[in-house]
Amino acid sequence: MPKKILLVDDEAGFTQLLKMNLERSGSYQVRIENDSLKAVETAREFGPDVIILDVVMPGMDGGDVQAALADHPMLRSTPVIMLTALVESSELPSDSVAQAGENIVLPKPVDINLLTRAIEEAIV
Amino acid sequence: MNLGNVDIIEAVMDNLPVGVFVKDASDDFRFVVWNKKQEEITQMSAATALGKTDEQLFSKEAAELFRSIDEDVLNSGKLKKIPQESIRTKAGKRYLRTLKLPMNDPTTGRILLVGISEDITESVETQKELERLSERFNATSRELQETQNQLFQAEKLDSIGRLAAGVAHEVKNPLAMLLLGVDYLDGGIAEDDPNIPVILKQMREGVTRADSIVRGLVDFSSQSAIERKKTRIRDVFNSTLLLVKHELVRANVKLRLGIADGLPSVYLDVPKFEQVLINLILNAIQASGEQKKKEITITAQTERLKNVDPDEGARTLRTFRENDLVVVVRIQDNGTGIDPDNIDKIFDPFFTTKATGEGTGLGLSITRKIIELHDGKLQLKNRTDEVTGTIAEITLPTRLGNTANIKSPKSKTEDSD
Repeated sequence: MPKKILLVDDEAGFTQLLKMNLERSGSYQVRIENDSLKAVETAREFGPDVIILDVVMPGMDGGDVQAALADHPMLRSTPVIMLTALVESSELPSDSVAQAGENIVLPKPVDINLLTRAIEEAIV
Repeated sequence: MNLGNVDIIEAVMDNLPVGVFVKDASDDFRFVVWNKKQEEITQMSAATALGKTDEQLFSKEAAELFRSIDEDVLNSGKLKKIPQESIRTKAGKRYLRTLKLPMNDPTTGRILLVGISEDITESVETQKELERLSERFNATSRELQETQNQLFQAEKLDSIGRLAAGVAHEVKNPLAMLLLGVDYLDGGIAEDDPNIPVILKQMREGVTRADSIVRGLVDFSSQSAIERKKTRIRDVFNSTLLLVKHELVRANVKLRLGIADGLPSVYLDVPKFEQVLINLILNAIQASGEQKKKEITITAQTERLKNVDPDEGARTLRTFRENDLVVVVRIQDNGTGIDPDNIDKIFDPFFTTKATGEGTGLGLSITRKIIELHDGKLQLKNRTDEVTGTIAEITLPTRLGNTANIKSPKSKTEDSD
């Protein structure tokens, strides 16, 4: 049974390509949500094993979505991987994979192998 | 004609306000007449000059020139005007305007050369002084222009600094698409994989997006003197919004854009006008502050000017006329508006309400200057509708003004838009 991944990012082209990459191995089933305001609703309905969240989005940003997820009993424990294209070095994790609280933060552009590893680590 | 009184002729000669001299062409052009004014102009007495040739009285070069003109006059038999010539005298260089004409002495049969000289030294020197002053004025004006351009550029660099992180972010997204595309293709390509065309299309789009934003930034950064070209307002908004998009998203500001269809083209220096829009939009974002639903509304439409202040021209270098067709751009935020105490100071250079180190305080004064260089007008006022906030209003003429910074307005390529 493939693991379910919810991808929340306003960049439609990026999410489409990421979905294709992740689903290729057959290990994952990916659902895209380009509207961050609908992220929680989609997550409730889809029941993902892991949520990949963009940080800078119109409407609700990654932090807002995360806070809303944490408020939800069903989604509270779903692991979150944050993706950020922010460039100020202070905002970037120093290692390739860094822990920010309980969440993993990865820089954009993201290496697919790195992301896959992060997903596997998060799901365990 | 015989006046019968030599004294009268001499008296007239000596009271003429012009120098009069006569040379005897039959006797090596020796001077035979030299009036009082001629003495004054040349600083040489008649006693010295009479019976002498040019060569004996003036420098070799001057004498040669005079002789050649004299011969020319005699050969042609016509009067000749020499608008400006110079001689060296004891009192310095004198400039003369001279008339020379040939004459036959009916009694002796001698051929005479008559000259009448007016001393124009003063007016020539005034003219030269004027030229020097005008040159200095031009140099100062060029220097000022240069300084103004540097100031514009400095302020622009400040905006670029504020935009850089956002622009980099906007470039990273297309780069992320490219990397994912490469990763996919790297995993081996099955001939019948339906994803391949989609991936290639997205990768191509990524390249286009990254290219247009980088190009937008480079164009915006370009430093040049103001140069206006016929431009569609919509195009400037498109390139500008690409640069500030990230700032809007990050500040969670909703943008409403209302650009009327079929707007007439306006004459814009695109990078400088982008600078104006970026400045006003960044101000509006900042002014939105802590509002819950931050919203910036940008509109552009044509209007007919009404109730034009006749004194307007003195301040804005251009007089808008009643009933002129203008393009009005309004950028409205829903922040708290401008403090009435500050409303008269906001365009003052170095006036800022921001903390030290945040902004130069030159933004609005430079923004207004750029608009004035477009023959336009920039006003900032508080909103009077049910929402609080600020309106920045740019009024642009649709016809050409008198300023010279228009690039070939008649060129065909400019007109075909």
